[in-house]
Amino acid sequence: MNRIDNLTKGFIKENPLFVSVLGMCPSLAVTTSLENALGMGIGVFFVLTLSNFIVSLVMSNKTLADLVRPVRIPVYIVIIATLVTVVEMLMHAFLIDLYKSLGVFIPLIVVNCIILGRAEAFASENKPLDSVLDGIGMALGFTGAIALISIFREFLGAGTITVWGDFGLNLTFIFNFLHMEPIGLFIQPVGAFLSFGLILATLTAIGNKNKERIAAREATVNG
Amino acid sequence: MNSGLKSGLVLLILGIISGTLLAVVNYFTAPIIDELELQEKNAAIAEFYDLTNYNLTEVAVAEGNVETVYVLTNKTTDAIDGLVYLVTASGYGGDVKMMIAVNSDYTVQGYKVVSHSESPGYGAEIVGNDFNVSDITDLSGFDAVAGSTYTSNAILACFQYVEDRIVGDFGGALNESN
Repeated sequence: MNRIDNLTKGFIKENPLFVSVLGMCPSLAVTTSLENALGMGIGVFFVLTLSNFIVSLVMSNKTLADLVRPVRIPVYIVIIATLVTVVEMLMHAFLIDLYKSLGVFIPLIVVNCIILGRAEAFASENKPLDSVLDGIGMALGFTGAIALISIFREFLGAGTITVWGDFGLNLTFIFNFLHMEPIGLFIQPVGAFLSFGLILATLTAIGNKNKERIAAREATVNG
Repeated sequence: MNSGLKSGLVLLILGIISGTLLAVVNYFTAPIIDELELQEKNAAIAEFYDLTNYNLTEVAVAEGNVETVYVLTNKTTDAIDGLVYLVTASGYGGDVKMMIAVNSDYTVQGYKVVSHSESPGYGAEIVGNDFNVSDITDLSGFDAVAGSTYTSNAILACFQYVEDRIVGDFGGALNESN
């Protein structure tokens, strides 16, 4: 049960983006299309899972942990940066199209707070297997969250939803039907902040409603 | 042992390990990446000219906005039939990089935006757009992309950089400078 919790808590309960509000910079930058968001998700998935694994491996060995503890933040950063560079080189060699569309955002994974945050908050205090599960869950939660933002932005901003390469949906007919143009503002950086704010507010409102409902139910049961 | 020294040693060892790992990965991926870049370049030029009829030589131009000129020499007549310019100009969001292919009679064989960082929905419309340029020495008919003044100016600048050099380059200036 605990194992499954480690995996699933990243999806909604402790979603890195909508609950912890971590890793904002790449999330706002790459969500101009669903394709970019998914690519970023794949990169974060590899790096987060591996970095959680390595960090927990190092920190679960007592002698190593004592040596590393005073300088753990630089150590984490070096581990993460190495992994990101490896992922970047492999992507450049074997997934050239994805590499091109992600461009500058791959190195940005190094400074993604989610990865450093999970290394410090979870992986350094837990067993390797739990940390890997936590990494997978958090990465999936992150990917889901940026996918949601990107669908919102791409649809409003360009009228399309690009899943991968040429495969996608063209929904411009909806705008034609309403006699209006797609709102290009949503693809711009300003639109990223607006979309994120709107989605975050909606999700928080839903969350609060749920909490009230649960509280009300408990009150009737107890009373 | 002094704790500061110990921490320094830990970081040094970690640095050596990660450096070695990166060197190993780089050793395996670098040739593949170089090969891909070469293929991509040839594929881009092959969009303009049939490479089986031409010998391709690369002239690196160190000055200004023209990075490289690819010279296409006809295999049978040994004459320079075309020049492909790799040229950059700054747009709205960063550099716009273009390939412009020009025939020896100054007609434009083709052009292509290689890379850019313009806004999606606005400046990014330049990819695959027809700018109505058929003669490099006459850019009066240049058709801009509506709503993207900065980006269109960058494209026009790319054409102008080529226009400035083209007569000299076909006149043999390329050989003299190298």
